[in-house]
Amino acid sequence: MTTTRTPATTPRRRTLAPFAFLAPFLIPFVLFTLVPVGYAFWQSLHRTERTGGTFGRTETVFAGFEQYADVVSEPFFVDSLVRVALFGLVQIPVMLALALALALLLDSAVARLKRFFRLVYFVPYGIPGVVAALMWAFLYDPQLSPVVGLLRSAHLDVDLLGPGAVLFSIGNVVTWTYTGYNMLIMYAALQAVPADLSEAARVDGAGAWTIALRIKVPVIRPALVLTGVFSLIGTFQLFTEPQVFRAISTSVTSTYTPNLAAYSLASSDRYSEAAALSVLLAVATFALSFLFLRFTARRQG
Amino acid sequence: MAVRNRGSVARRGSAGGVVLILAALSACGGGQDEDDRTASAACEPASGKVTLDYWSWVPGMQKAVDLWNSQNPDVQVKLKSTPAGNVGTYQNLSNALKAAKAPDLSQIEYDSLASFRLKGGLKDIAQCAGIPDAAPKFADWTWSQVDFGAGGKDGVWAVPQDTGPMALYYRKDVFDKLGLAAPTTWEEYEAAARKIQAAKKGQYITHFSQTDPNWFTGLLWQNKAPMFEREGDRWKVTVDRPESRKVADYWQKLIDDKLVATDLQGFSPALYKAWNDGEVVTWISAAWGYSTIRDNAKSTSGKWAVAPMPQWEKGGQQAGNWGGSTTAVLTGSKYPAEAAKFALWLNTDAKALEILNREGGLYPAARTGADLPALKQPVDFYGKQKIFDVFAEASQNVDTDFTWGPTMTDTYRFLSDGTAKATGGGSTLAEVLKATASQSVESLRKQSLDVTD
Repeated sequence: MTTTRTPATTPRRRTLAPFAFLAPFLIPFVLFTLVPVGYAFWQSLHRTERTGGTFGRTETVFAGFEQYADVVSEPFFVDSLVRVALFGLVQIPVMLALALALALLLDSAVARLKRFFRLVYFVPYGIPGVVAALMWAFLYDPQLSPVVGLLRSAHLDVDLLGPGAVLFSIGNVVTWTYTGYNMLIMYAALQAVPADLSEAARVDGAGAWTIALRIKVPVIRPALVLTGVFSLIGTFQLFTEPQVFRAISTSVTSTYTPNLAAYSLASSDRYSEAAALSVLLAVATFALSFLFLRFTARRQG
Repeated sequence: MAVRNRGSVARRGSAGGVVLILAALSACGGGQDEDDRTASAACEPASGKVTLDYWSWVPGMQKAVDLWNSQNPDVQVKLKSTPAGNVGTYQNLSNALKAAKAPDLSQIEYDSLASFRLKGGLKDIAQCAGIPDAAPKFADWTWSQVDFGAGGKDGVWAVPQDTGPMALYYRKDVFDKLGLAAPTTWEEYEAAARKIQAAKKGQYITHFSQTDPNWFTGLLWQNKAPMFEREGDRWKVTVDRPESRKVADYWQKLIDDKLVATDLQGFSPALYKAWNDGEVVTWISAAWGYSTIRDNAKSTSGKWAVAPMPQWEKGGQQAGNWGGSTTAVLTGSKYPAEAAKFALWLNTDAKALEILNREGGLYPAARTGADLPALKQPVDFYGKQKIFDVFAEASQNVDTDFTWGPTMTDTYRFLSDGTAKATGGGSTLAEVLKATASQSVESLRKQSLDVTD
């Protein structure tokens, strides 16, 4: 009797228990991610119709993929995508290389004051993005910045907020903010590299450089891929820095990045197009991340 | 780990985030506007104690609100100081309206009334006590802005607050030193610009901001170049026309010859420093701008003066208008009667007008405002000049037929994005006008409005 009863109850418990444990994640995920994405998708398929003149009644009608066609045909769509793509091509490798170098340095046997430096590198990430962007904005501003003032007194005429340089200036802010964060992920992965691997290599006559590049880097490859994916996503969703920079640079437009463009459209009452752009951006980001993972996985295999 | 990673993505502003905000904000939209849109709804006073939320960016508004609160214990107004309209408040207000979380009242500039009415954000206060008799109390052109030129047949959608007649603020000391008089024509203004630049490296006659498309619109207004025409229910976009191209070509020349500072954003700390350091020595701005200079270029006290706007024709007397606001009662306010009463008091009561003028530098839209003692006084900051005489005259010379389009947010955005390209050397202001015109037609169509060519 007991033997038959037990299997009858266990499967039910087994099916319920995971959901109970997942609930703290699942409920907010559904409420704050799936539902809004679904709503945005629904909204992107509709547009406003007006009857009874300029200030008459409005009606929401189904428009299929009309908004998508509209958004894609806007010149800013390609411009902003190309801009963030170029941004990513330069900024991500620089930031990750820097993060990796710092992580390897901290992990090396000769490093001193490890705790201190680990904290120092990580501090920028603890500063809210808007505050960081504002702070850098003041450092870039030719009228206010001591740095630019110093360069100018040395007859180096730099315009860090001009049309040619502002993207790099934004890249610098992002690098400054996220290098420490990525470094920490890599450093954590390095802690998990078995000590006997390095020891064995050393016995075989490998130097510190060889151990770092040939042993440690390949072992923490998953962490590198992870930081790569996050950086890629972050790049395509660049928003805070350009938005803050708009107040001081005459070179940042309202459609500078895709995310900024979606925001601008929404605030011009073009909610449907903003929704379509957001959905497109989400799909593009997802596809890119997926491709990146496939690409790195194949090379690994 | 997972939590931290998710945080990283969110901090850089995610599409998910935008989507989420959109959803949250628009969730309560839809049917809700329909009820409030029925025009000329009755406007009954509420019983009991009432609290009104009010958004405004007029400096010192709190003092006027305090005065009202002390006189009206039953109708308390809670003021929220917000950033200037196009700097963020309009966006926040649109979002708040979508979410049905808007305040009872808000400051809204004339140029944005149509777009807020279009999105069903304004309450028709025509039936509210005091409003039917209010028209004669305000300058004609301001009232025709709030009743949309229909003489009351199309509702009343706000109470005029102030106007922004434009004039030329200039550093008299710098001009005197260079032997320059205040320029009376745009030609003289350009000549002065060259002299000012030649006198000292890095000194400019003015800045050409990219985020102040409404400033540029004021320049167009002076040359009688309205951007929109409303013919019944059809709209016509007139952004690109000979009158506006004349203005654009003029400023393009100043930009090309590097006579104006193009790297200073309007109302930015950098601009204020340039004012203080004497690197930017004039500002063509509205009456309310007097407090902007006074409060942000303190070290130049006594050195500024005000002259009428330079003219296109010698001996002309045209003035532009930049901004000027209304106090609007918003959709969803539960107490329209009280809100309208406050709005009317705020913009007609002598004491309130006095406070708003003294603290915020507002030039009142109410006719009685011109008689305020403060507007007859010499102003210390401007070398004891009676500057409001200049603005009183400018106010008479503002073309009163200017019509705003219902999609000004978009039109301004196109202008300002285009200006970024023009000041960066990749385009010209004339091309910007052309592009803005066609983009504006497009955005009217997107709002499913009728557009004629």
